[in-house]
Amino acid sequence: MTDAQLVARAQAGDLSAFEDLVTKYQREIYGLACRMVSDPEEAKDLAQQTFLQAFIHLRSFRQEAQFRTWIFRIAINQCYNFLKSRKKYGDPVDCDEVVLVGEDDTPEEELISQDERRRVYAALKKLPPKQQAVLTLKVDQGLSYQEISEVLGGTPGAARVNYCQALKTLKNYLRSEEDEVAMHPSPALATRVSRR
Amino acid sequence: MRWQCTLLQRWLPEYPDGDLPAFWRGRLQVHLERCPTCREELVALKEVEATLQEASAADPGPEFWTEFSRQMHLKLVQADQAGQMAPTPTSPWWGRLPYLVGAPALAGLLLWLAVSYLTPERPGTAPTSQLATTAQPAAKTPVAEIVKEKSAVPAEKMAAVPQALPPSDETKNFIYTSQRNGNGGEEMAPDDEPDDLEATLAGMTPQERDAFLKKLCQHEKDGSCLRKFSAIAFA
Repeated sequence: MTDAQLVARAQAGDLSAFEDLVTKYQREIYGLACRMVSDPEEAKDLAQQTFLQAFIHLRSFRQEAQFRTWIFRIAINQCYNFLKSRKKYGDPVDCDEVVLVGEDDTPEEELISQDERRRVYAALKKLPPKQQAVLTLKVDQGLSYQEISEVLGGTPGAARVNYCQALKTLKNYLRSEEDEVAMHPSPALATRVSRR
Repeated sequence: MRWQCTLLQRWLPEYPDGDLPAFWRGRLQVHLERCPTCREELVALKEVEATLQEASAADPGPEFWTEFSRQMHLKLVQADQAGQMAPTPTSPWWGRLPYLVGAPALAGLLLWLAVSYLTPERPGTAPTSQLATTAQPAAKTPVAEIVKEKSAVPAEKMAAVPQALPPSDETKNFIYTSQRNGNGGEEMAPDDEPDDLEATLAGMTPQERDAFLKKLCQHEKDGSCLRKFSAIAFA
């Protein structure tokens, strides 16, 4: 069954149709929230909140855009709000605490992978929220610039420029961290860089 | 870095297999062949992209999703039972037609009212100054006629009043204007003229008369008794 049919049924009051939509998009929304807030527990709450908001406002969705784009937009707005409140009231989560269960075979590989994730997430966290969102939508979700512009507003050209800028900034952050390790070597960081 | 590098590096993330127009693809290809800086930049950007993809959030496992679905189901049922689902927006565009038509009409009406009441000259009434200037040459005749016709002052009374000097131009203008604005003397009854005021005016020098009439001009705004004096003054 297509999204449009499921949405139409859900708008008519069929709760199970909406739950099918939730099942279909829960991984993408959770992944997006994880990237944006770097906190699995918060990401879970934000994903649930996103679906709840979508359910509440489902009847105002006129299917002029895709349901996927619409739900991404809600998720991004939820994440923006969260990041804003976190900026206002302080950050209770240390990025080093982010532990995501990987699929690596050996414990050593898993450690390396987690270390790498922490590094990337720490660099991502320094980016402005909009650039984080563009990177996530492009790299993780594989949206086109047209779809990104529908989710975030603006034009496809602006989304492309944002993406390019975000990649460059991220590259600089990652590189500066490597330089810092080279100048002030600490055992943990040196190990991490040597693995790369 | 040359300006050409800056320009082309904006398209680098899309090279070689991204959403890139053929024109830029060709230019990038030619440029990359001879620019080592941009080649390095391309490699670095691709590395970052790969790192990002590798570091994407891994699937948290089936237990997580079971729990997620259970919690989600509870929240949805709760919202459904509480009637939190927003109602269907009722109106297509023709449902808003009264507002679409009414809003400009209301705006136009408000604008007209503002123009009518906030400007000093109301529509349909010529500006006072304009009237005064245009009426100057003919001021003497109509006022004099009106006054003579309407104010049938008894001959003995008029004889008792000393001969009045002809009014100044300013006075004439004022009287004519006030008559055109509805304060003219045509409604004045002949018996309304108070004798003591006549006597007062008669005893005045021309300068005092003018000053007195200027004061009356000031009082006109408050609804003064100018009508009573204008005819007397002119006579």
